[in-house]
Amino acid sequence: MSLTNTVPESEKTRELGNSRRKFQFPFPLLPFFLFVGFFLVWPLSKVLIASLKSNNESWTFSNYTPLFHGIYFHAFVTSIRIGVVTALLGALIGALFAYVIDAYAGPRLTSILDSIAAVFANSGGVPLAFTFLASFGANAGLIKLLKSLGWDLYAEGFSIFSFTGICAVYIFFQAPLMVLVFKPALSGLRKEWKEANTSLGGSPWTYIRRVAIPILFPSFIGSFLLLFAGGFSAYATARALTVGNVPLIPLIIGDLINGNVISDKTHLGASLAIGAIAIAAVAMSGYVWAQRKSSQWRR
Amino acid sequence: MKINLSKYSTIGLVSLLSLIIFVIPYSASLEYSLRGKFGKGHDLTNYLWIFHQEGFLSHLSLSLELGLLAGLLNLVLMVPTATFLHLSLQRYKSLVDFICILPLMIPVVSLAVGAEYAMPSFLQNSQMELVFFFVILALPFTFRVLDSALSAIPLKTLVEASRSLGASWPATIMRVIVPAAKGGISSAFFLSFALGIGEYTITSLLHWDTFTTWTVDISQQNVLGSIALSTFSFLFAIALLVTIALVSSNRKKKQKELGETS
Repeated sequence: MSLTNTVPESEKTRELGNSRRKFQFPFPLLPFFLFVGFFLVWPLSKVLIASLKSNNESWTFSNYTPLFHGIYFHAFVTSIRIGVVTALLGALIGALFAYVIDAYAGPRLTSILDSIAAVFANSGGVPLAFTFLASFGANAGLIKLLKSLGWDLYAEGFSIFSFTGICAVYIFFQAPLMVLVFKPALSGLRKEWKEANTSLGGSPWTYIRRVAIPILFPSFIGSFLLLFAGGFSAYATARALTVGNVPLIPLIIGDLINGNVISDKTHLGASLAIGAIAIAAVAMSGYVWAQRKSSQWRR
Repeated sequence: MKINLSKYSTIGLVSLLSLIIFVIPYSASLEYSLRGKFGKGHDLTNYLWIFHQEGFLSHLSLSLELGLLAGLLNLVLMVPTATFLHLSLQRYKSLVDFICILPLMIPVVSLAVGAEYAMPSFLQNSQMELVFFFVILALPFTFRVLDSALSAIPLKTLVEASRSLGASWPATIMRVIVPAAKGGISSAFFLSFALGIGEYTITSLLHWDTFTTWTVDISQQNVLGSIALSTFSFLFAIALLVTIALVSSNRKKKQKELGETS
């Protein structure tokens, strides 16, 4: 929580420093700040407070100890692994798609493909899980077809209710999301830079290595972190797919607040929620850094 | 020649990849959803099944209502905010930008935990609770869309003209800004509308029963039916968004042509 707050604070003071002479409260933004304050900041601060309270209302850090041992620690590791693996695969595949769309598709086709990517990126959740069941479940036509061709996925130990299965499902929204968030950066590469490279005697390879990659790298990292945060905290798809086979932090938190497990562990639910936010906050500070870096080139 | 070869091989490779990753699974699921009774033959049985379920209409209308409210509230809140950020309050833009990214980064489950702790009980008992959280969750998408829509119009000139002719701020926003940026504003509306209809995490964790959670519940009885429903909603969303994209790109073209002739 503290991490998420440091960035806007510092930014605010810097901004105010520029114009201290005539500071006025931005009244037109008041509804926005009130709304976000009440429905975003206030609930999260309540979680933070609850995570620091013991059952008899005194302050304690003891709710945080389970996070570093046993099943909860294991669940954090698994969720982070899922986030990293799916974000990396999604980012690479999505960047490739984005490159081809940006380089070769006309404006009309681009807007169609953008819309399709938007649908795919938001198709995470329950419908995606069902679609995936239909495509890769033991009874699906595709699996049967592969089997008749001599490749029995299930005999090789594949299951959609496993770590690999979940990773495979997540790619379906991670890669299209990458197309959406990374393509603006690609379109921001100016033609003049390529021409300058050529006229200065650089090969296409020099252009990629010395111009395109250094400029796109921050955007790529930023998009990767965004995808990571999404994969780490995805709830609906995982809920619909796993029957408790793979321990994931969002599922455990959900169980705790639904009272499916042990009801006097509500403070544990709060500390797990703060733990999840802390990991998201690390990703987010990287994202803010990357945004700042990449906006240098978009003036 | 060498360049052309690499161009076509790249396009070919990517098409093959998208075929494997997206087209084949989704057609497989389409085939699956069309299977007839007891898995024999192919017909529309599964697509019709959902209509005969008890509660279909009530849940669907509840979801549509929530989505509509979320879309409207989002516009009421964000159109003025984005407008002022473009005019006199530009120095707050990076702060608002940052806040609007938060819902994308913060795990929704954590926010749901917070909602259980923090919301007063009169809100917990009202459907508006969901609408408010849908608006929060839609912020990352809608703010960006509105922001770029407002950058594309001569906002400052329009506002100055309208204000100096004596229009109030609400009138300026409703009668000048909204018509001028209606493309971006309508896609911001549709984004939060769609999010409201499909939202599952907060809805189920706060113990509400909308179309999405209802679908999950009844899918336990008929997996084929729920796959059909997913496929249908997916195709419907693609058709809707592609149509919007085509219409708006046509309109842009027309505007450009008009601008060139006048």
